[in-house]
Amino acid sequence: MKNAYLGIDIGSISTKGVIIDDAGKILASEYLWTEGNPMEASKKLITVLHDRLDNDTYQVMASGTTGSARKLVGAMCHASVVKNEITAHSVGTTTLHPNVRTILEIGGQDSKIICVENSIAVDYAMNTLCAAGTGSFLSSQAHRLGVEVEEFGKIALTSENPSNIAARCTVFAESDLIHKLQMGHRREDIIAGLCRAVATNYLNNVAKGKKIIGPVVFQGGVSKNIGVVKAFEDQLGMKVIVDDNGHLMGAYGIAIMAKNSGKREKFDFNVADIDFQTREVNCGHCANHCEIICVYGNGKLIDAWGNRCDRGEIKVRA
Amino acid sequence: MKLSKPADMASVRTIGIPRALLYHRYGVQWTTFFEQLGLTCVLSPETDRAIMDQGTALSIDESCLSSKIFLGHVAALIGNCDAIFIPRIANYGEYRDMCTKFHALPDLTRHAFHDQAPCILDTEVDLTHKRPEKPAFLELGLRLGKTKKETLRAYDAACKAQERDEKQRAKALHVTLKKSSGLRILLVGHPYVLRDDYLGTQPARILTEMGATVLFADDWSRNDARKACRSFSNMIPWMISRELVGAILSMKDKVDGIVLLTAFPCGPDSMINEMIIRRIKDKPILQLTLDAQSGTAGLETRLESFVDILHYKKEGGYGNRS
Repeated sequence: MKNAYLGIDIGSISTKGVIIDDAGKILASEYLWTEGNPMEASKKLITVLHDRLDNDTYQVMASGTTGSARKLVGAMCHASVVKNEITAHSVGTTTLHPNVRTILEIGGQDSKIICVENSIAVDYAMNTLCAAGTGSFLSSQAHRLGVEVEEFGKIALTSENPSNIAARCTVFAESDLIHKLQMGHRREDIIAGLCRAVATNYLNNVAKGKKIIGPVVFQGGVSKNIGVVKAFEDQLGMKVIVDDNGHLMGAYGIAIMAKNSGKREKFDFNVADIDFQTREVNCGHCANHCEIICVYGNGKLIDAWGNRCDRGEIKVRA
Repeated sequence: MKLSKPADMASVRTIGIPRALLYHRYGVQWTTFFEQLGLTCVLSPETDRAIMDQGTALSIDESCLSSKIFLGHVAALIGNCDAIFIPRIANYGEYRDMCTKFHALPDLTRHAFHDQAPCILDTEVDLTHKRPEKPAFLELGLRLGKTKKETLRAYDAACKAQERDEKQRAKALHVTLKKSSGLRILLVGHPYVLRDDYLGTQPARILTEMGATVLFADDWSRNDARKACRSFSNMIPWMISRELVGAILSMKDKVDGIVLLTAFPCGPDSMINEMIIRRIKDKPILQLTLDAQSGTAGLETRLESFVDILHYKKEGGYGNRS
């Protein structure tokens, strides 16, 4: 029996998972929509990965979770490592691209830039209060234009004269877009303009003040949009690498971290059959009214978080 | 000097002080002054969700979170004291301005609470209009029915206590800088953000839990910091911004990373933090914007990744850390 390691990246829009072997080779992977239910999505993912893995040869011995639902799913499947997505993405990307200097990432509602020196992340920035130019923005604009968001990139490339779309803010971009539509701009020009706006917006806001040095790797769901890739290449004046597995990089990174953690425990694929429930408790100890989340597996409390101080701590009885 | 107001506050026995905004900078001076005059100080409690919510309800949307919280603290004091101390501190001279919010504070509060009409004890520090601190405090004492001699003695004691406190804090900071090992993170922000129990203490707690030593920029000697800032810019109008920049310049070589904490939407910070990020290139800097959101998930993700980066940088690789 050989050892294998599971990594799950539960984002706001999609849930990604990989199983790797000791050499870091991907043995199985899956990508599906979170659909607002991180626990169900993860269960589905775990089942699919289990089916795809050669279970006679490999046994998953450590697991890790990352992404915005990392805590929840980490508690659910008793993960060896629970880490933020920036660290997971850096580890994953630098493992596959040791020379990378800059990682651009645009996901469903987050976008970030990670600067790398000697294969380790040395600086990062993330969108702050504003989700302009992220994947969900592109999806909603695709819907408005009656186009599948997956088609966006291809259509954008057919434009010879991209429209100018205000890139500073989603709200303004949207009203600008409607205006251009009503004025008779061609659809492909507007789509190309939107892709360009996403790149401009990212470079002016998230990547503001950061020095972008090549090689540049672009990942996250939006990296599948060839229109945005082209816009980045035009504006940066350099080649932008998009890995076929770019969308799996967070999951891959956290799997590597699980492998390196040294913790070994047989992963129980039966978690997919356990009934998990969460309950929100409002702590009444002070006026902060912390919202504490309690996670139950088959009716038994397995974890809790959300308290700002010790008074709100809910202990799990062993 | 000519007294602008008679002893209209002579019956006041307890003074309420909102635990917000400039209290976090001049608190020792204020409480010492009133106590020296034989009055009792009543402080509003530490900021919590209820105080923030009440302050938000009383404020216009565009106010910064710290100003909103201030009104929540005033609300918590009403009915618990004879008068609430709200000075108008505009500036300590040229290029030593305070945020415009503080210029308007007594009036703003009066109008926000016009139906309850709380008794507000105000005074004015505005050196560019020939109103230094000393006559401002003298006026306070006379309005409270004290003699000139009593007041000046109290003011003197208050200034000394404040100075002692600042010196102690700077000394403690130097000790931490010398003795602490491991990761050191400099937390930078207006004192009313850094020292607020609902705002700045959260990131400080998260960082400490991750094993980092947290240093506060406002502990650095204010005079030294203002001097140090001159090499960075002579044009910054705001006194606190100058001190924060000076503190960063003085300490950056002794820390592993810098976290800029700002209350949304702070005007001075929006400009100065941008300058800091653009010009200080030899230290990792993380900017965190705090608003009324109750969740700390975004905060934790950002701080955790920042600490990871600093750790890995120090260790020179991903190694076996998990």
